[in-house]
Amino acid sequence: MTDLAWLTVAEAAGLLRGRKLSPVEYARALIDRIERHDGTLNGFLRFTPEIALEDARRAEAEIARGAWRGPLHGVPYGLKDIIDYAGLPTTAHSKILKDNVAAADAQVAAKLKAAGGVFMGKLSTHEFAIGGPSFDLPWPPARNPWNRDHFCGGSSSGSGAATAAGFLPAAIGTDTGGSVRNPASMCGVVGIKPTYGLVSRRGVLPLAFSLDHVGPLTRTVRDNALMLDLIAGVDPLDPGSSDRAAGSSAAELDRGVKGLRIGVIRHFYTRDMQADPEMAAGIDAAAKKLAGLGAKVSEIETAPLGVYNACNRTILTSEGFAIHEKWLRERPQDYGAFARERLMAGAFVRAADYVNATRLRRKLADSFHALFSGIDVAVTASSLDPPCRIDDPHAIEHTYARQARAPFNVTGGPALSVPAGFSKAGLPLAMQIVGKPFTEALVYRVAQAYEQATRWDARHPALSNQAPPRPWKGAA
Amino acid sequence: MKDELTLEEVRRMAVEIGLTRLTVEHLQQLLRATQAARARRAALPVATLGPADEPAHVFRPEER
Repeated sequence: MTDLAWLTVAEAAGLLRGRKLSPVEYARALIDRIERHDGTLNGFLRFTPEIALEDARRAEAEIARGAWRGPLHGVPYGLKDIIDYAGLPTTAHSKILKDNVAAADAQVAAKLKAAGGVFMGKLSTHEFAIGGPSFDLPWPPARNPWNRDHFCGGSSSGSGAATAAGFLPAAIGTDTGGSVRNPASMCGVVGIKPTYGLVSRRGVLPLAFSLDHVGPLTRTVRDNALMLDLIAGVDPLDPGSSDRAAGSSAAELDRGVKGLRIGVIRHFYTRDMQADPEMAAGIDAAAKKLAGLGAKVSEIETAPLGVYNACNRTILTSEGFAIHEKWLRERPQDYGAFARERLMAGAFVRAADYVNATRLRRKLADSFHALFSGIDVAVTASSLDPPCRIDDPHAIEHTYARQARAPFNVTGGPALSVPAGFSKAGLPLAMQIVGKPFTEALVYRVAQAYEQATRWDARHPALSNQAPPRPWKGAA
Repeated sequence: MKDELTLEEVRRMAVEIGLTRLTVEHLQQLLRATQAARARRAALPVATLGPADEPAHVFRPEER
C-alpha cells in the first residue's frame, strides 16, 4: 500500500469506504509520524491524538455498518488555532488567549465533524493571524518541511507545514491578506482563498471583518475542491455569509483548459515589484504550459500592485486595531513584537482614510471584475520570492510585503495558490489562479490541468534527512 | 498631519487614545507602524474618487 503519509483525501476516501484501510490504522500511522517529526517542525500548537483515535474508532464503526458519510469520513485534518473547536483553547498562538477555551465549534469545525473527519489538533499560526514568524511567543513558529531553516509562510503556517510534511492530507487556514496562499506557496501545497462569504467565519477569531476568509490547504487540487465543498455554505449567523448556494467546486475538474482564456497579470511580478528570477521564470513557464495545454493565454493589466496592497492594509489595520485596541491598552507587553507593531499600524488611521480605502476597494473590484469579459481566469504570482531563512528578521520583513495575494482579498473572488516547481535550492515555487466571485470550479479546473501536466504534487519533503534546528527554549 | 513624527509626539498621541502602558520599545514600534500607515495612505489614489463613489460594503437590510 502507498505510504499512508502521502495518501490524498480522495485516495483515502476510496480505501476507507471500501474497508481496505482502517481509520484507526490510518490515524495511528499519522500520529506516529507527527510524534517522530513535529518536535522540530512545530506544525501543531496542540496535538490531540486522543481525540483523533476516538474520531477514528467512531468512523470505523460507522463505515463497518454501511453509514459512510462522504470523502472526509475517517480522514485526518487539522485546524488553524484561531478556529474554535469546542472544549479546546483557541489561543491564536498568543499569550493573550492562552487559556481561551472555546465553548462551541466554529461553523467550519462543526461541518468537518459532521463529515466524519478525524481531528488531529490545532495548528500553529502567526500571532492573531498577523504577527510572525515569532520567537517571542509561548509556542515556537512552524518551520518549512522542505528545509527547516526556512520560513514556511503564514499566517496559516502550521496548516501549510503539517500538510506538506505528510502529517495530514488537509488542513483549514484563514486568509485576510494572503494567509492561506502564503504557506501554500512556501510549503508547496495547494491553498485557496474562496469567494468572500462562501465559507462561514463564525467561530473564527477575526483579524479584519471585511477581508477575512476561511479556506483549505491540501496536497492536491482535487482534495482542495473536495474540502471546500465540505465547508462552504450559507450561515445565517455569519453577517458576511453569502446566500448564494455553493455549487460543486469539483464539478469541472477534469475538463481541461482547451479554449479557456487565461490572462496573465505579469506587471505584478515584473514591473510593480520584481520577483526573484527563479519565481518569475516559474510563473512564466506555468503560463506557457497552460498555453501548451490549449488555453488562450494573453497578458492583462490591472491597477498597480502597490495600490491594491495599500488598500488592503489600510482596511486590515483599521479593522484589526478596532478588535485589539482594548488588549493593546491593557496588555501591550503580552503581544509578540511582530503582532504588536503590525496591529498598532491601525491606531492613527483617520476615519476618512478608512472610508476612502473601502470606496477605492469597490472601484478596484469593479474594474478587476470587468476584465473577465475578456478572460475566464487570471494567473499571477503568489509570493515574489522563495522561502527565506526563518531566523533572518530582515529577510522576513523584506519578503513579507513582497506578494501578490492581497489584491484578491480586496476584490473578493477566489484565488488559489498551486505549486509551480522548485528553486535550485529545492524550495517551492508557486503561482496564483484567480477568478471572479463564485467561479471556484473554473479556478480548480485550470489548477487541475496544470497539476496533472506537471505533477509537482508527487514530490514530498524528506524530513529525516534534515538536521534539526536549534532547540526551542520558550518565551512565556 | 505632519509627515515627520517624533517618538515624543507618538507618545502623546498614544496617551490621548488610552495607550498608556507602552514602553519605549513599544513606542518605537508604534512610530514605525504609524509611518508605514501614512505611507500606505499616500499610496491610495483617493483623487480618483468622485463624490458618489460608495464604500465596498453598504448596509442592505433587505438581505438579512
